[in-house]
Amino acid sequence: MTTPAITPARVLRSEWHKLRTVRSTWITVLTSAALLLGVGILMGATYTSGGGDSDVDTVVLTLYGSQLGGIALAVLGILVTAGEYATGMIRATLTAVPSRVPVLWAKATVYTVTVFTTSLLTALLTFLTAQVFLADTDQAASLTDDGILTAIAGNAAGVTLLGLIALGLGAALRSVPGAIGAFVGGVLILPEILGTLPYEVMDTVVRYFPTQAVGVLGSAIPLPGAASPGAAFLALLLWAAAALAVPALLLKRRDV
Amino acid sequence: MIRAENLTKRYGDTTVVQDLSFTVHPGSVTGFLGPNGAGKSTTLRMILGLDAPTRGHATVDGRPYAAHRAPLTHVGALLEARSVHPGRSAHHHLMALAHTHGIPRARVERVLALTGLTHVAHQRVKGFSLGMGQRLGIAAALLGDPATVVLDEPVNGLDPEGVLWIRTLLKNLAAEGRTVLVSSHLMSEMALTADRLIVIGKGRLLADTTVDELVRASGGTSVKVVTPEADRLRALLPDARITAEGPDTLLVAGLEAPEIGRAAAAHAVPLHELTPQAPSLEQAFMDLTRDSVEYQGASA
Repeated sequence: MTTPAITPARVLRSEWHKLRTVRSTWITVLTSAALLLGVGILMGATYTSGGGDSDVDTVVLTLYGSQLGGIALAVLGILVTAGEYATGMIRATLTAVPSRVPVLWAKATVYTVTVFTTSLLTALLTFLTAQVFLADTDQAASLTDDGILTAIAGNAAGVTLLGLIALGLGAALRSVPGAIGAFVGGVLILPEILGTLPYEVMDTVVRYFPTQAVGVLGSAIPLPGAASPGAAFLALLLWAAAALAVPALLLKRRDV
Repeated sequence: MIRAENLTKRYGDTTVVQDLSFTVHPGSVTGFLGPNGAGKSTTLRMILGLDAPTRGHATVDGRPYAAHRAPLTHVGALLEARSVHPGRSAHHHLMALAHTHGIPRARVERVLALTGLTHVAHQRVKGFSLGMGQRLGIAAALLGDPATVVLDEPVNGLDPEGVLWIRTLLKNLAAEGRTVLVSSHLMSEMALTADRLIVIGKGRLLADTTVDELVRASGGTSVKVVTPEADRLRALLPDARITAEGPDTLLVAGLEAPEIGRAAAAHAVPLHELTPQAPSLEQAFMDLTRDSVEYQGASA
């Protein structure tokens, strides 16, 4: 028998165990998958060539449901962190791992792996299913076409990083409703409002906001007037890093 | 072994714990007593590294709790508030905690059996009664087979059977050589389980003593005597400390009932009642903490 001691790998295993043993994980992941697939099929089945959606990027069109599904995954991110404060589980968690910060890294890691994997697989399935309906239209495309696979992976990565921001907000605010409010207000709505302001600099700044960057990553054809995919990915990584760094610092200082 | 040195915790202008120093030794049950709001839970949270002291520090086995490589093997704790996800089963809750230390599944099953939870181990905690919830908290505390066990108000809200189970458990843990620190606001409960007592009020140390010493300090035993000739009896017992409880009733301290009875018989003083009184630890505790109770009830 090995000697009991805390190691990063063991904390990771503990967080993985926690993630898979509550219903909310399965409910949010399956909801997001159902939304992505359902909206994708709807888009494919109702599409007519030359209609209003003809100029829409094929990947954006088929994965339109990821905008809704992403919200379910963001809620999961918030439950992973802020949820522990709601139930009191955080006291047991931080008594077991009193160095605290490894818990946050472990949570972020198991969330990232779970959400990226399921999002990517669902996105691939959704794209292929939608294409069955789109075969004879001007939106017909295959996985091997230029930019398609990258955009599908970009969509999954974007949704995952957006969810990590939510996870970080949950850890910083320690309240499920508070973090959901902050996510919807600050991450989803605020850039829309800033974009309508009559200052040109705002247009440039808003390009690098999380939701805009996610849009860039999920497009097969580069969008005019948007950031480049590389810049968007970097911006999103920085947002997620900042959203995790703040609670990591606070976790060390605050009383539980 | 737990050692607190000058522990102080302030929230803004409010001082919850003030300059608290004490040591808790292995092999006995130490009661941590104080009225509600005395700072017991805050002190325990500082020992466990959940709250940072404003000043001073606490160590467990010579180090701060958080500095241990396997803290669950040093201290197991049951905190007052529930610390469990209600949607997870008891088994999975304990497994998640066990994984952090690489504690094997067999140990999880062992503590489930020890706390009598084996048959409900795979049910979600949501449906647990208060007593089962406490048992799960204790199972979690014992998970790392810790040398020190800290329990915050473990009998609160339990039925008599649950209370008895906790008492036996505490005594057994101490008999195994562990350090046991158990907080309570009920002196009567501590009198039954604890050997040593640390009494605090308004965040300050009021007494660090044993139950026996506290009994002695509270005046020891006394005898209630009812006699129509109270004044004569008083004169016959010059060495006793006597207080009058009524025209015919005396409370005699410093003498045992047989001695009082013999003295009365020798001088033909009729006695209607001669009753040894149990020492009132409750009273001693209240005397000790009178000035530090948060809310004083006014007598009508």
